[in-house]
Amino acid sequence: MRERLDALLSAARAELAAVSDDAALEQWRMTHLGRRSELTGMLRSVGSLPREERRDAGQAANAARRDLEEAFEARQMTLRRGAEGAQVDVTMPGYPVRLGSLHPLTRTLREIRRVLAPLGFRAVSGPEVEWDRYNFELLNIPADHPARDMWDTFHIDDKARPGELLLRTHTSPVQARVMEQVRPPVRVIVPGKVYRYEDRDASHEAEFMQVEGLAIDKHITMADLRGTLTYFVRAMFGPDRELRIRASYFPFTEPSAEAEMSCHVCAGDGCRVCGGTGWIEILGSGMVHPKVLADVGYDPDVYQGFAFGMGVERIAMLKYGVTDIRSFYRNDLRFLRQLR
Amino acid sequence: MRVPFEWLGELTGIEASVDDVANRLTNAGFEVGAIHRAGEHWDRVVVGEVVRIDPHPNADRLNLPTVNTGSEEVQVVCGAWNFNVGDRIAFAPTGARLWDPYADEPVLKELKPSRIRGVVSRGMLCSTKELGISDDHEGILVLEPDAPLGRPLAEALGGEVLEFELKANRPDALSVLGIAREAAALYGTQVRSPIPDARPSEDGSGPPVNLQINDPALCARYSAALVRNVRVGESPAWLRDRLEKADVRPISTIVDATNYVMLELGQPLHAFDWDTVRGGFIGVRTARSGERLVTLDGQDRELTPETLCIVDAEGPVALAGVMGGLETEVTDKTSTVLLESATFDPVNIRRTAHRLSLRSEASRRFEKGLPPELTVLALRRCVQLIEEIGAGQGEYLSADAYPAPSDPAPVSLQFDRIERLMGVAYDRAEVRQALNALAFAVEEDGDDLRVSPPFWRRDVTAPADVIEEVARLVGYERIPDTLPTGQVMDLAPGEIDERDDEARDVMAGLGFVECVTYALTSEARMARLVPPDLLDASPDAPLGDADAWAAARESAMNDAGRAVADRLLPLHREPLRLRNPLSMDEYALRLTGLGAMLETLRANRRHVDRDLLLFDYQPVFLARDGDLPEEPNFLTAVIGERISADRWNETRAVGLPFLHGVLDELLTRSGVPTVDISHAELQHPTFAAGVAASATHQGCLLAAYGEVNAEVAAAFDLDERAWALLVDMPAVRAASAGPPAFTAWSDYPSALRDLAIVVDAEVTQAEVYETIQRAGRPLLQSARLFDEYRGEQVPAGKRSLAYALSYAAPDRTLTDKQADRAHNRVVRALQHRLGVELRA
Repeated sequence: MRERLDALLSAARAELAAVSDDAALEQWRMTHLGRRSELTGMLRSVGSLPREERRDAGQAANAARRDLEEAFEARQMTLRRGAEGAQVDVTMPGYPVRLGSLHPLTRTLREIRRVLAPLGFRAVSGPEVEWDRYNFELLNIPADHPARDMWDTFHIDDKARPGELLLRTHTSPVQARVMEQVRPPVRVIVPGKVYRYEDRDASHEAEFMQVEGLAIDKHITMADLRGTLTYFVRAMFGPDRELRIRASYFPFTEPSAEAEMSCHVCAGDGCRVCGGTGWIEILGSGMVHPKVLADVGYDPDVYQGFAFGMGVERIAMLKYGVTDIRSFYRNDLRFLRQLR
Repeated sequence: MRVPFEWLGELTGIEASVDDVANRLTNAGFEVGAIHRAGEHWDRVVVGEVVRIDPHPNADRLNLPTVNTGSEEVQVVCGAWNFNVGDRIAFAPTGARLWDPYADEPVLKELKPSRIRGVVSRGMLCSTKELGISDDHEGILVLEPDAPLGRPLAEALGGEVLEFELKANRPDALSVLGIAREAAALYGTQVRSPIPDARPSEDGSGPPVNLQINDPALCARYSAALVRNVRVGESPAWLRDRLEKADVRPISTIVDATNYVMLELGQPLHAFDWDTVRGGFIGVRTARSGERLVTLDGQDRELTPETLCIVDAEGPVALAGVMGGLETEVTDKTSTVLLESATFDPVNIRRTAHRLSLRSEASRRFEKGLPPELTVLALRRCVQLIEEIGAGQGEYLSADAYPAPSDPAPVSLQFDRIERLMGVAYDRAEVRQALNALAFAVEEDGDDLRVSPPFWRRDVTAPADVIEEVARLVGYERIPDTLPTGQVMDLAPGEIDERDDEARDVMAGLGFVECVTYALTSEARMARLVPPDLLDASPDAPLGDADAWAAARESAMNDAGRAVADRLLPLHREPLRLRNPLSMDEYALRLTGLGAMLETLRANRRHVDRDLLLFDYQPVFLARDGDLPEEPNFLTAVIGERISADRWNETRAVGLPFLHGVLDELLTRSGVPTVDISHAELQHPTFAAGVAASATHQGCLLAAYGEVNAEVAAAFDLDERAWALLVDMPAVRAASAGPPAFTAWSDYPSALRDLAIVVDAEVTQAEVYETIQRAGRPLLQSARLFDEYRGEQVPAGKRSLAYALSYAAPDRTLTDKQADRAHNRVVRALQHRLGVELRA
């Protein structure tokens, strides 16, 4: 019996070494481990052996079976690995994954909202078709004021109320809308589309996005404005950015300030992006004009605050290195997929 | 406005560099947009003297001047004739760089030695255009006789010019003197006023000028000065040089003098030929009906009653503040001039200038509001200048009407208000010094400040204005960085819905690329969304008329289609139109985003052959009577014919179930359970027949989706099938059940049964599904359709549907028998209610 087992084992091992595919392997398993195999027959016949031989014979046959089973599994593993090793080239490209993307302006707007949210600014929206009253008059820009030249305006052809409907030229009218409806404290940002009667070129759009910021309370100061803007440009463009503000004029703020940040590309040394000056104009701002406060029913002797406004495309152009503002509205997938 | 730097220096005595001055003025609110450096390129150009002029042997229109350059004599070939022997001129030797006067764009060209009609030219006498001083290329530039011979031209003529981008609030800053006042305040120097003192006996009361202002509200002051023995001719070179650098074209002595004073002091002046003014009378009044005036530009204009005019004894002689009349124009025959210096109503001037499209340097100044005090000062300066350049002798003031004199009101504020607004302290001396430097008078009374602005600062009327003056003169560098403290505000009105962000994220997750398209379009562009013959459209009404739409609603739409037309594709509605569009392609506000998105699909189709999944989530504009339009945010998605399959280069065709799946996910994520949605076949001319559906929630339309009608796709120049999904997101919000609610599932194993049925083709899947759901209660956990088949294996007019059903109980393991019983109930219900047969 022992001799038969040894012979059987060595024959089976030799055959197994020659097995080279799954079918032959299965055939081998049937032959050597199957129900009709010689080894199974031997295991079955153990019971008919004399009692004193049974134990050893049983152990030997079972050990042989385990040996063959292990050999089988090892061979199976080798075969599989061999098969895959021959086929898999891990440098093959992945299958195309179709995940979409958000528009770069959407992402920039969200980033602006995310940066300003911890300072308590809530994001609100307002109508794009607006009354002259909100777009101009409530912002201290009366009819026939020369400051109206600062905004080239699209007017809606409206026979019933000629001259009253227009496409808003800035997001500032939402300032007045919010203040008319709530008492201070007010702290909002207003993202949205605005319109200018302006020929398009690489740096001008007739339709573009703005974000307006407004903070009104009893003790909001120009230093708070400067601090907020410094925080903003550092959060958006990196902790090394410096901010500087200089005097300017907007009808709805007094004092008014134009804000510039040190160039994020050259860090102030002067490059093409900042026109060699080391500084980049980023937004307009100021302390809300007392007349604007009074016109919405706030007492300008009690309440004060700041407002700022920026072009979202300009921020996105600086962030992504885009040189033509019109790219944002051409919706070319080569552009949108690059900036995803 | 352009200000020659040396002019500024003359009025201020500032010796700092041009860059420093530009920088400080910019920081103080007077933004220098550019510094023009005339002479920057004149490295070889020198002052030369013409010593001889010979005729050109071969060309009558050319001559051969010989120029003394200070070091040698050089002969050149010249085509200009406006110079004589002895004139000093700008001489460019070969190798100098000059602006090409014939190029469209400014370009510098190096002067090469040349031979012109057989004569060698070793240089050039320069025109102002070639030097980059002005656009004038008529003749060469003749310099002052005392220009230093042989010296670089830059020393004689060069110099920087500051170009200011001025703000609307400072009429005083539209003058060299105004800028000089600011600069002097910043540098602590004294302004050297160019205005001469009044001469005794010229108090504006003398004959023979008879003045009358009819409406003091429209003309606060009118002052006039007579100049006799007028000599109209060319102004001296220094004056012309300053005008040219300030971008004003020199014309002749009198006109140049008035322009010079306008630039210097900001007060526009007008000169009348006094002998042509009838009756020795000057009046200011609005035009009477039927009155006409031929203006300086030769146009015969009919005057509207709101137009403010200057009249003589018989009628209008000028449009006040806007343009003079041709008949009273100063010519070289003029011997006596009346100089007008007046204060007109800003609004009236602005309206007139806009109405006539005649906006000028003068009207720009008037419409910002000039101080009446300035009129007499400007006259004195102008008469003095005219006398200085030998163009006449005059009186500083011959007549003056100032019916209601007024001074700027003082402004009172408490000292601590400055710190309260700015968030930083200023000491009293500093405040006083800053305000005094800007010519504000300051009186202190305890904590109260009483600040009186100078006459030219009528823009300062409130405490905030005074505070700004202090802050900007001290410098904004003083302001520290702090963050606002205090209470957080309550929920704001119009707060942006975070679910809008989520809808965008869902679409991006589903493979769609977000686009932002224009709101402006045209009716013709929107009209491409319906087949051309449907509306019987004309070029005047590309979107048809009410009758055409009524007919189309009957013939080309079912109920679902009409609902879509009412809301998601309201092409029958009048769009809002612009009064002043940029072009006829974008004069209307869009009624739907689909047109712009199909245009976007087409543009991208040129270079992309698959995976064109795009969406836009911007408002449309639906007019409302007497109110602002409704601006709902509709989601518009478009899809090209093929999308990638799971191989590198395999694609599959998009179909209606794909769009249905996208919509299901969007609705589920928006809180609208898909079981509550009904889908109905959609007949609408924008969509292909039989391949479109609408989705409603309790009868309310939420979405339309399907294949774009082939005719419409062709109108957008698309060369493959296109698909569209339109979602009324506000309606989806309204249908939202809020955040999803958790339902526990059974922990016991499910019994799975497949069900293949054959059913009449008219029976919808929804009916089958609903029957299964109802009959399967309460053990049926889910029913998932996994196949649809039509063809040989099933009889004509029928189709086969196959479902995988899953049964389970919440509290026990189902036996086979219990599962079979539940399943048989489903089968029987299908057989009984819908007449289905089981498929073998």
